[in-house]
Amino acid sequence: MNRRRPGFVSALGLALVVLLVIWLVGNFVNSPSEFVNVLFIGLNYGAVYGLVALGYTIIYGILQLINFAHGDVFALSGLVSWTLLVSWLGITEDSAMLVTVAGILITLVVAMAFFAAVNAGIEFVAYRRLRSAPRLAALITAVGVSFIVQNVALAIYDVDFRSATGLIPRTDIFVAGGVSYQWNKLFVLLVTVPVLILLTWFVRATRQGKAMRATAQDRDAAAMMGINVNRTISISFALAGALAASAGLLYLLSFNMRYDTGFELGLIAFTAAVLGGIGNLTGALLGAFTIGLIQAFNEGLTWYTPGSDWTRSIVFGILIAILVFRPEGLLGERTPEGA
Amino acid sequence: MSAAQTNGGGGVILRLEDVHTYYGAIHALKGISLDVREGEIVTLIGANGAGKSTTLRSINGLNHPRRGRIVFQGRDITNEPPHEVVKMGISQSPEGRKLFPRMTVRENLEMGAFQRRDRANFKEDVDRVYSLFPRLAERRNQNAGTMSGGEQQMCAIGRALMARPKLLLLDEPSMGLAPIFVEKIFEIVREINEQGTPILLVEQNALMALDAAERGYVMETGRIALADDAHALRQNEQVRKAYLGET
Ligand SMILES: Nc1ncnc2c1ncn2[C@@H]1O[C@H](COP(=O)(O)OP(=O)(O)OP(=O)(O)O)[C@@H](O)[C@H]1O
Ligand SMILES: [Mg+2]
Repeated sequence: MNRRRPGFVSALGLALVVLLVIWLVGNFVNSPSEFVNVLFIGLNYGAVYGLVALGYTIIYGILQLINFAHGDVFALSGLVSWTLLVSWLGITEDSAMLVTVAGILITLVVAMAFFAAVNAGIEFVAYRRLRSAPRLAALITAVGVSFIVQNVALAIYDVDFRSATGLIPRTDIFVAGGVSYQWNKLFVLLVTVPVLILLTWFVRATRQGKAMRATAQDRDAAAMMGINVNRTISISFALAGALAASAGLLYLLSFNMRYDTGFELGLIAFTAAVLGGIGNLTGALLGAFTIGLIQAFNEGLTWYTPGSDWTRSIVFGILIAILVFRPEGLLGERTPEGA
Repeated sequence: MSAAQTNGGGGVILRLEDVHTYYGAIHALKGISLDVREGEIVTLIGANGAGKSTTLRSINGLNHPRRGRIVFQGRDITNEPPHEVVKMGISQSPEGRKLFPRMTVRENLEMGAFQRRDRANFKEDVDRVYSLFPRLAERRNQNAGTMSGGEQQMCAIGRALMARPKLLLLDEPSMGLAPIFVEKIFEIVREINEQGTPILLVEQNALMALDAAERGYVMETGRIALADDAHALRQNEQVRKAYLGET
């Protein structure tokens, strides 16, 4: 597959990258402490995007399906976490620290388990029958499921925003030379990192994880090895649902959410998955942190910075740029379809 | 149909009775009946598109027949899903190898033993595969997708052996290989069989397949056209003309 790129297009791509580097270095020189503070924010965006992007990439890897419903599952999971944490467990800003942390952990575990089941259910009801149908049929179905999930969220939670942003204190852990780091930021990483370690262990080392990788690489061959393909696909959806729920809770603790929060965030996470090379788990994280950092830099830096009004244009500009310059993504392999 | 009709009783390990299999509306198998007995190599030969691979896909549960019956060791497996069929002891080296390209040779072999719970014998079995195919031992940490065609074929056969099958299905194990590799593969097929595993061998290379096998079936457009001792088929005028390249 030798696709020829016109010289001026790759020159343009290179120019963009050079501009980006100059802009970052300029900002760093201009105000190193601001740069580092913003970088911390970007890591948190990246963590949430990454947890959602992994869901897109796992499902694409195993079914070659872009599961448009995934962003909406994420949003619904955040709202359900709100119900668990705020309505049922009654955690407020005044709760004792230990109670708050315990409440959040219980919510995390329950929400992850519940949305693992929900996502596996979605596959069973909506996608399983379409497995050998044309791709377009499954894709349209995914769009349909996206609307259904979003409207379930609307029906239950109405158009109001829910928030639990005050539960983790925003007090500083350390301040040094204008650089500061807060508990609420650390908390996001304290959840994300163990979840990612568990996921890596599951995919690399367990029997089911190996079955997942094998099924993603060749479904028929996997079946011939004695792998229960249906069960493996169910487990993949469950895994994606659990990851989305962990992201939903983290998002809820940082931002307001409502029924349609998943639309945009889902698209951003999908972009991250494509940027990293869809189907590739490490790639999804790389893409997510790249986009998270770009967003934070764009919204937080001050030296020649477009500002938050431009965030969406930039993120989706990146999507278009990848599709033009490197359709297989940063870590992806060229597939026969060239996607 | 003399050989196919022989009722071997206890000796028959696999029996297909009037199997009809479809791809959507395409009627690919139009009533296949065949037997595989304990300890033997049976070959299935025929032109491209005759339905040889489809016969194997019917046996291993990837394409369930719409009519007919498949019985393995006295159990009806006609509608069992593939992973159950493997569990019962039928494993396959498929057409086109179908290795897991981004897994190493060793991981591919490991996947071959996926449905087995006795991890204890795993090492022993890997060593057996390595001794059959020393080349695989050298390549154990290489990604399967990056190996040569012949090496991949060895890996596919080795992977099928890792299941400790009671019946081994081989789909064109010599496809695309240099003559020297073909000889080698057939030698190993015989060796595996001598160690006690019955084999259903699908081959384009009819001459070598009939040499290796005890019995053979000749397929033509979804039907069994001939069934006989391999030796008799080699002498058969029709077979010689159509499949052995003689005029
Ligand atoms: N996935 C499929 N969809 C539709 N038709 C198929 C499919 N696979 C095979 N067929 C058709 O079924 C018939 C039997 O195919 P099969 O692959 O079993 O032949 P074969 O004997 O293995 O041939 P070859 O020697 O070329 O491997 C052919 O006519 C083929 O076109
Ligand atoms: Mg074939």
